[in-house]
Amino acid sequence: MAEPIIMPRQGQSVESCILTEWKVNVGDQVAEGDVLAVIETDKASFDLESTAAGTVLALFWEADDDVPVLANVAVVGNDGEDVEEFRPDNGSATSAPEPVAAEVPSSAPQVTEAPASASSESAVAPFSGSTIATGGVSAGVSPRARKLALRHGLDPETLEGTGPNGRVIERDVEAVISGRPRLSASAISKARDGLEAPIRGKGLAGMALASDMREPGAIEGAKVEPVKGIRKLVAERMIQSLQTSAQLTLNTHFELTAAQAYRKERVEAGKSKISINDLIAYAQIQALGAHPEMNAHFLGNRFAVFEKVHLGIAVDSPRGLMVPVVKEASELSLEALSAEIKKLAIACREGTIQPDDLSGGSCTLTNLGMLGVSTFTPVLNVPEVAILGVGGIELKPKRLESGEIEYAEFLPLSLTIDHQAVDGAPAARFLQTLVSQLEENPGQPLSITNE
Amino acid sequence: MKYDFAVIGAGPAGYIAAKKAASAGKKVLLVEKKKLGGVCLNEGCVPSKTLLQAAKTYRHAKHGSIFGVEVEGIRFDFPKAHQHKNNVMNKMRDGIAGLMKKYKVDVVEGEAKLLPNFQIEIEGETHETTDILLCTGSSPAIPPIPGVDLEHVVDSTGILDRESLPNHLVVVGGGVIGCEFACMYASVGVQVTVLEAMPEICPNLDPEVSASLREGLAKKGVNFNLGAKVQSISADKVSYADDSGSNELEADLVLVATGRRPNTKNLGLEELGLDIDDRGGVRVDNRGATNIPGLWAAGDVTGQAWLAHAASRMAEVVVNNITGRKDHMRYDSMPAVVYTSPEVAVVGLTKEEAEARGIKVKVGRIPMAINARYIAENPDETGFCKVILEADTRKLLGVHMVGGACSEMIFGATAMLETELREEEIEEIVFPHPTTSEIIKDVFMAVR
Repeated sequence: MAEPIIMPRQGQSVESCILTEWKVNVGDQVAEGDVLAVIETDKASFDLESTAAGTVLALFWEADDDVPVLANVAVVGNDGEDVEEFRPDNGSATSAPEPVAAEVPSSAPQVTEAPASASSESAVAPFSGSTIATGGVSAGVSPRARKLALRHGLDPETLEGTGPNGRVIERDVEAVISGRPRLSASAISKARDGLEAPIRGKGLAGMALASDMREPGAIEGAKVEPVKGIRKLVAERMIQSLQTSAQLTLNTHFELTAAQAYRKERVEAGKSKISINDLIAYAQIQALGAHPEMNAHFLGNRFAVFEKVHLGIAVDSPRGLMVPVVKEASELSLEALSAEIKKLAIACREGTIQPDDLSGGSCTLTNLGMLGVSTFTPVLNVPEVAILGVGGIELKPKRLESGEIEYAEFLPLSLTIDHQAVDGAPAARFLQTLVSQLEENPGQPLSITNE
Repeated sequence: MKYDFAVIGAGPAGYIAAKKAASAGKKVLLVEKKKLGGVCLNEGCVPSKTLLQAAKTYRHAKHGSIFGVEVEGIRFDFPKAHQHKNNVMNKMRDGIAGLMKKYKVDVVEGEAKLLPNFQIEIEGETHETTDILLCTGSSPAIPPIPGVDLEHVVDSTGILDRESLPNHLVVVGGGVIGCEFACMYASVGVQVTVLEAMPEICPNLDPEVSASLREGLAKKGVNFNLGAKVQSISADKVSYADDSGSNELEADLVLVATGRRPNTKNLGLEELGLDIDDRGGVRVDNRGATNIPGLWAAGDVTGQAWLAHAASRMAEVVVNNITGRKDHMRYDSMPAVVYTSPEVAVVGLTKEEAEARGIKVKVGRIPMAINARYIAENPDETGFCKVILEADTRKLLGVHMVGGACSEMIFGATAMLETELREEEIEEIVFPHPTTSEIIKDVFMAVR
C-alpha cells in the first residue's frame, strides 16, 4: 500500500525546509529509517528518513525546493501503485519523464505554412519543423533548447544531444554558442551522464576526450563540491556577522590554580566531574548577570537585553560548526549546566539535535583550547553582542606576595564584542568580573561571593 | 643574422618544423651538419624500406607459382637495388630542399654550437634567434662487445652501404631494426640468424604480436636465438651464451642493432645547463619545452618514441606552441610499424599496459586468414588482428596487427583512438570490400 512521506516539522518556528539533496531515485528500494533526502532549516541540516518500506514511487520536489512542513515529499509503496492522490499542488514531479510528444513547439512555424508568408518576420524559418523532415528516431529538443538555439540562429535538430536518449537540451545549445570543443564519441557518453567539457580538451585540435569530462563547475587539480547543508548556513552566518557588526576582540587570561583545585575538591568529595569549560560557562553566566548589556541582541535600531542567559555553546560536529543553546542557563546549577552542555554536544555530534535547540541564544562560548590553539578571535553569533573564546593552557610566571616568581597555569580568554552595541571599557569590566570569579570563586554563584 | 626560429637538425622533426614555422611567418634558420632529411631519409626509414621492397619483389617473383606465375632465371642484383635506393633518397632530398626554398627557410650546412643568449655559432659565424628547436636525432648505440670494431661488423647505417650479399648475416639485437634487416637479407637468400638477449624479439610490442612476427620471419628463413648474449666477435665467428652455455656462429657480416642514443654531444648543451635525463635524452614536457624557456626539443634527441612520425608530430607541437596554438603530444595514439614481411602495425595500449593502468579490458583477436583479400594476396602468411577495449564503455584502447601491408591501414585505428570511438560507433563505419582493412571491423565479433 502506497504511503506518502511528509516533510516533518523541524521545531515550532519552522514553516518550510529546503530539500538540499535527494539520496534516492524513483525505483529504489528503501526500508523504514533509510535516508531519503537531506533537508535544512535556516539553522541546520537534517536527514529526512523514510517512514515506510518499499519502492520509491515518486519524488514530488526537486533539490533546492523550499518545501512547506507537513507537505508530501515522496511516495513509498509497491511497484505500479498510483501516486496521484498524494501529489502536492505545487510539486514538480519527477516520477515520470515528460512525454517526448509534448516537445513539438507550439510556437514554431507550421510546415503547412504557405511560402508566401516568408516575407514575415520569421527569418529563422528554414529549419523549422525539421523534426518531421529528418524522419529518424529522435529524442527531440527541449523547448528551452529550441528557444535558445533559434535565438542564436542555430538549428537545434543538427546538434548533438546529451540529454536522456540523446535529447537536445539547453546545455547542448550553450556548448555550441560558448565555443565548447567538439566531444569525442566517448566524451559524448560522459556528457549524457551529466559531465561537462572544458573550454579546450586534450584530444585532436582541442577535442574533449572522455578523460577531460568533469563535473559541472569542476576545477582542474581540485575536488569541487557544492556548498550545502550546514556549511552553507555557517558561511552565510559568518559573512553576515562580519558585514553587519563592528567586531572588537579583547584578550586576557586567568590563572587556573583555583579552578583546578575546585575540580579536585569535587572529585575528592565524591561529586560529579566538572570540566574547566563548564566552570568558564558557569562564570560567564554569572558575569553576564552582573553586566546585562553583554547579554543582549543588537538589532540595528533596537537593543534587546535578555533577562535570563541563554548560553550558546559552539560544537565541532561531523557536519560542521553547530551552536546549541542552553536555554535559561542562568537558572541552572553548575551540575545541571554541565549535564545540559554535555547532552547538547552529544546530540550535535550524533545528528539528533532539534532545530529549536539551535536557536534563541543570548551570548556564546567557544573553546579551541583542546585543539592546541593558544588564542584566537571569535566571530560574533549575530545579533548577539558578545562571544567568549577560550584558548589553550599556558605556563606563565607569576609574582607571589613574597616577591618570588613561580610558574602557574593560565588560560587565555578572548572576548569579541559588537562595538556598535558595547564599548571597550564595559566589555573589559565584564572580563574583570569573569576572571576574578574564575580565579577566586570558581563554580560559585556571583551573588554569594559578593557578600 | 637575427632569426625568429632556429632549427638544429634537418630530419623529420627539423624540416617539418622549419616549413611550418616559416609558413606561419617566422624567419627560420635550418642547420644540418650532414644531409637534409636526417637519419630517416639518409640512414634509416627510407633506404631500408626501399631495400625491403626490392627483397619483397624478388621473393614474389620467386614464389609466384602459387598464382600461376612461373619465372625462370630470377636473379637479385643488389647494386641495382642500391641504385634505386639512392635515386629515392636523392629525389626526397631534392624535395626537401625545394620545400625549404619555397618557404624561404635559410638552410645552413655545418655543425651548430649553442651559445648563451640564444646565439648559435655555425662554422665560425654567429646567428641570433628568439626560439630554438633542438632536433639533432640519434645514432646507433654500440655495445662494448670485443670485436665490435672489426671491418665486417656494421651498424644500421653501415649496412645500408653494403652492396654485396654475405653468406651468413648475424644480427645482434632482435628489435625493430634488427628484424627489418633480417627479413630483407633472408628474403634474398642470405642465411640469417638473430641473436636476442631477451626471451622474445621486439619486447615493447604486444607479446602475441612479437611471437607471431618471429614465427612469420622464421617461415622466411630467419633463425632466432632468444636469450642469447653476445660475448665476442672474431673475423669469422660470433660467440654468445644462452641457457645451453657458450655457442658460436659463423658470420661474414654482423649487424649490431642494439638500440640508439640521442645526439646531445658537442652542441654546447651542458654549458647552457640543459636538463638531460638518465638515458641521455633532452628532457621535455608534452609540448616539447625544455627547462630553458625558448629552447625546445623534438624527435630522437628527447629519447622518446624513436619514430620519425613521432618526431614530425613533436615538431608540429612545438611550432604550434610557439605560434600561439595550444597543442601537446598524445603518445597513447602514436602508431608504430615494423616493415617486415609480414608487417606489424600497432597503435594504442596493449592489454598488459591497460591493465597496468588499472583499466578493465576486453580483448578480441581474429586471424588474418578469415579475410578474403588477405588470403588471396598472402596465401602463405599468417598474422592476426587484436583489439583492446575498455570493458565498461567498450571504448577502443588499442589495435595490434601482424600481416600483409597492415602499416597502410593503422592510421584508421589511430583516427579511431584519437576520436575515442567505441565499438558502437565503429560498427557504423563502412569498410570497403574486399580489403584487408575489414579485419579491423570484423575483429569486434571476437571481443569477449
